[in-house]
Amino acid sequence: MKTYKIFGATVIVFSAVLALTIGSCSAEQTAAYKNRSGAQLWGENCIRCHNTPSPASYNDTDWETISLHMKVRANLTDDQAGKIFEFIKSAN
Amino acid sequence: MKKVILMLLLFVSTGSIVAQENNKNNEIDSLVEAALLRKGYKPSKTQFMIRGYGHAGIESVKTNGETASSFNGGTFAPIFLFKHSDRLMFETELEFQISGGSLDVGFEYADIIYVLNKNMTIRAGKFLLPFGTFMERLHPSWINRFTTKPLGFGHDGITPGSGVGVELRGAFNIGSSILNYSIYNTNGPGLKTPDGEEPIEAGMLTFDNLKDNNNSRAFGGRIGILPFADSSTEIGASYYTTAKVGDRGSIYENLWANLYAFDFSFVKQIPSLSGIVDVKAQYNNSKVDNIIYEIEEEPGIFEDLDFDNESKSYYMQISYRPSMSQNNFINKLEFVGRYSKLETPVGAGFQTNKKEYSIGLNYWISWRSLIKFNYQNITGTGGHDIIGRFKQEGVYFHWAIGF
Repeated sequence: MKTYKIFGATVIVFSAVLALTIGSCSAEQTAAYKNRSGAQLWGENCIRCHNTPSPASYNDTDWETISLHMKVRANLTDDQAGKIFEFIKSAN
Repeated sequence: MKKVILMLLLFVSTGSIVAQENNKNNEIDSLVEAALLRKGYKPSKTQFMIRGYGHAGIESVKTNGETASSFNGGTFAPIFLFKHSDRLMFETELEFQISGGSLDVGFEYADIIYVLNKNMTIRAGKFLLPFGTFMERLHPSWINRFTTKPLGFGHDGITPGSGVGVELRGAFNIGSSILNYSIYNTNGPGLKTPDGEEPIEAGMLTFDNLKDNNNSRAFGGRIGILPFADSSTEIGASYYTTAKVGDRGSIYENLWANLYAFDFSFVKQIPSLSGIVDVKAQYNNSKVDNIIYEIEEEPGIFEDLDFDNESKSYYMQISYRPSMSQNNFINKLEFVGRYSKLETPVGAGFQTNKKEYSIGLNYWISWRSLIKFNYQNITGTGGHDIIGRFKQEGVYFHWAIGF
C-alpha cells in the first residue's frame, strides 16, 4: 500500500513538472531562454549551490579549467557553460 | 657649388634612409618583444589548478547531559584539477581533518572526465554519487549553510556518498526547461554483519567499498528537471539498486538493496523581499532484503535480530539573505533554518529515531568565505553507540573558506 502511495505521489509530481516542461516548449519561451545573456545565466545558475563568483577571482586560463569542472559537476548545458564563462572572462 | 649641393642631397637622402632603417628596426624590435611577451604568458593546453576549501572553529556540544567543548581546527580539503584539453580532465579531492586528537585523511574522489559530446560526459574512477544533491553539490563547508550535515548523511548515514565505477551524465534543453541526467555503475555497497567489526550494526549498508565484495555491481542514476527558464527550481529523482550486498560466499551475499531519493531546490533573488531565498529538501529511502542476524551479546549468548530493514531520512532547509539591502553589513548576513529526521529499522541494533532542529546566522565575508553561528538540537532514541534516549544540543562557531 505504501509503495503505491509513493509511486502515486511520484507520478503526480512528475506529471506536474512534465506539464510545465511541455508548456515551456512554446516558441516564445524557447526564444526567451535562448536570448538569456551570459551575465543572466551566471547570476541564476552559480547561485543554485553557492554564491556567484567574482569574475576577478581567477584569470582566463584558470576560468577555462573551472568551466569544465563546473560544467560536469553542476550538469550545465553546453550553451549555459559557454555563455557563462565567456561573460566571466569578459568581466574579469 | 654643384658638388656641394650633390653632397648635401646625398647626405640628406642617406640620413633619411638610415632614419627609415632605424624606424624599421625599432618596429621589428617592438614586434619581437611583444611576441616574446605573448609567448611568455601564453597558457599551455595542459592546465593544473588547486582549489578546495577548509574551515576552523569552536563548538560546545552537550550530549545526554555531558558537555564537550573544543576548538575544531585545521580541516583542509584540496581539490586538484588537471585539464589536459577542452574535453579531458582529471579531478581529485582529499580531506585532511583533525578528529579525536589525530589526523584523518579522506579520499573523497578521483576520477577522469571526458566530454563525449555537448550532451554527454563520461566519468570513471571514484566519484561523488548524484544520489539526491546534498552529498554531490552541497556538503563542502563553504557551501553548506550549517556546520553539520542533516541526519541521514555522513557517518552511519543511509545515503551513498561516493562510488567506484563509471558514469554517464549530461544536460540538454527542452524548450526553456533543462533536463539533466546521470546513470552509473559502481562497485556497490557492503553490509555490516554479526561477524564484522561492529556486530551491533548488522544490517546497515556501508558505501566505502573500494573493491567489489561480491561481483555484483550497483546501478543508479538521477534525473533532474529545471522547469523554468531562470533555473530557479530543480526537482530530482534518484535510484540506486544492487542484487547483492553481502560478502561473496557468506549467507548475506544474495541480499538485495534498493534506495531512492527525491530532491528539491528553489533559489531566487526576490526584489519584493530584498534578497535571496534558498530552499533545499531531500527525502531518502533505503530498503535492504530481510534476514535474521544472530548477534553474540556475551560469549555463548546469542540474540536473533529480526527486523524489516528499511530506513528513511529527510531534511528541509530554508535560508534568506537580504542581499539587496543598501547597508553593507546587513546585506552580508544570512538567516538559515533546517529540520531533518532519521528513522532506521525498529528492532535493529542500530535502531534510531531522531529529529533535528537547527537555526543559524551566517556572515559572508566574501562570495566564498563565511562565518557560521549555529544552534542545533537533536532529540530521539538510539544512534551510534547509544541505547535509549538521545538528546544533544550544540552551539557551533565556524569560519569556512573556499579557494
